[in-house]
Amino acid sequence: MVRFLGQAALRLAALMLMASLAGALLMRAAPGFSSDDQELNSGLSSESIQAIRHGRMDDANIPRFYVRYLAALAKGDLGTSRSLNQPVKDLLRERLPVTLWNLAFALGLGWLLGLALAMVAQTLRSRALSFLAGGLSGAFISTPAAALALVFLLLRWPPALAAALLVFPKIYRYAQNLLQQSAEMPHVLTARAKGAGPLRVLAWHIAPIALPQLIALIGVSISIGIGVLLPIEVVSDVAGIGQLAWNAAQGRDLPLLVNLTMVVTFITVCATLISDAAQRGFTRSAA
Amino acid sequence: MRAARVIAIIVLLAAAAAVLFANYLAPAGYEQQFREATQASPSPQHPLGTDELGRDRWARLLYGMRVSLTLAPLAALLSTLLAALVGGVAGYFGGWTERCCKLLIDFFLSVPWLFLLITVRAALPLNISPQASVTVTFVLLGLLGWSASARVICAGAKDLMNSEFVWTARATGFSGFKLIRLHLLPNLRGALFAQFWISIPVFIIAEANLGALGLGVSEPLPSLGSLLRELQDAVTLRPEPWRLLPLAVLIVVISSFQVLLNKQEVRA
Repeated sequence: MVRFLGQAALRLAALMLMASLAGALLMRAAPGFSSDDQELNSGLSSESIQAIRHGRMDDANIPRFYVRYLAALAKGDLGTSRSLNQPVKDLLRERLPVTLWNLAFALGLGWLLGLALAMVAQTLRSRALSFLAGGLSGAFISTPAAALALVFLLLRWPPALAAALLVFPKIYRYAQNLLQQSAEMPHVLTARAKGAGPLRVLAWHIAPIALPQLIALIGVSISIGIGVLLPIEVVSDVAGIGQLAWNAAQGRDLPLLVNLTMVVTFITVCATLISDAAQRGFTRSAA
Repeated sequence: MRAARVIAIIVLLAAAAAVLFANYLAPAGYEQQFREATQASPSPQHPLGTDELGRDRWARLLYGMRVSLTLAPLAALLSTLLAALVGGVAGYFGGWTERCCKLLIDFFLSVPWLFLLITVRAALPLNISPQASVTVTFVLLGLLGWSASARVICAGAKDLMNSEFVWTARATGFSGFKLIRLHLLPNLRGALFAQFWISIPVFIIAEANLGALGLGVSEPLPSLGSLLRELQDAVTLRPEPWRLLPLAVLIVVISSFQVLLNKQEVRA
């Protein structure tokens, strides 16, 4: 257990460092990095413009920026956003709950819809229902997140619902395949032949086999959820970290983008590690 | 399901025909402007009407399909080659090489792909020529979208390296390029083909996401994604439902890929 936790912490640290460094290198290589929109502000004095340029040049040296950033991070200082002129910590405190709330709603509803439909289709074994659920999931899996967000904007429906409908088909398809495979196992066929009802078969014979793999899907679904929320937040003008990342990338805001990449990596890697650990624990206890 | 597959094949063949014969099916070029008929409703001359610049929407849809459906497979080819390289090297050499490759794969998998793609594209210049924007968009898709496939290839290559016939081949003196060419590649062909096929609809959707956000192919060149930008004009959308046709075409084409994909996955 201690070894697993140690390895997981090392992996998390390595991936977060790689992600933040990649974000920094990307911003440095982006055209227009050394210039700032504020330089065009005629209301600023030449000293202020020089100070802005000096600030940009400071960030241009990536190794120096990165070492300073890590040193400040160790003290809990995430730096200041260049484009929004606010401490990154305040921006994250303001925006992160919005994204996390939308993510929780999207995942909750997506999982509920996906699992419920897969279980009902498996229990009833209705071809019409399977066809309907397959068609519905196929339509949403084929819709770009940004386009669905635009349609939802037009209909004035909540953006988090769009995210839920984009998460749902992945859960449904995976769960349906998994339940189908489990239902074809010899002991399930025997239970059915002995007269066990569909609900009893699902609860006692199919679900225990499918559950560990479904738990492993939680981590992946969080990554999918964050991925679809970014275009949805941008299109629907939701003040979350997706919109913040978009603004940071367009404004060549190095401190903000590096921190956002780290936060997103932290959430997805932690979710994957926790779901992997839960899957292992469940498999061991079942064995 | 057989009927669904037949319909999917017919849809994809029709899309391929539309892409190939766009020059003959379109009433005008994708950038030709009819200035006397801007924002026109559907008519025999303009089956889907015209946009705010007076360009024929039907022509732009056909040429947009050509751009998306031609370049997405090329991006999928690039990502599959990268996946084969990284996954193959990891599976073939094992040990530290495998750990390093897996860390790289994990890194790309840990940052949500769409987040990474949109952030990278937003950081790149937007005021570039249409041809350059097409190249940048689809090369970026290929360069950033290989990690999930690499994991599958790595597992496949590792299994093969531990299989009896590869051990026998190595015992009889096969090694290096000969082993890869004669034993690994032929046995990984199915997995590589499946990964290539899976990547095509994913890349079409990713391009559509970029296009809808204004980060995809530059004007005046159309793509299925850039045509979705017209949806942003939400106020006028209600009386003009034909503007939704690019989205409907996209959903039908991708759904057809998905229907055929299940078969490919089973084969792999």
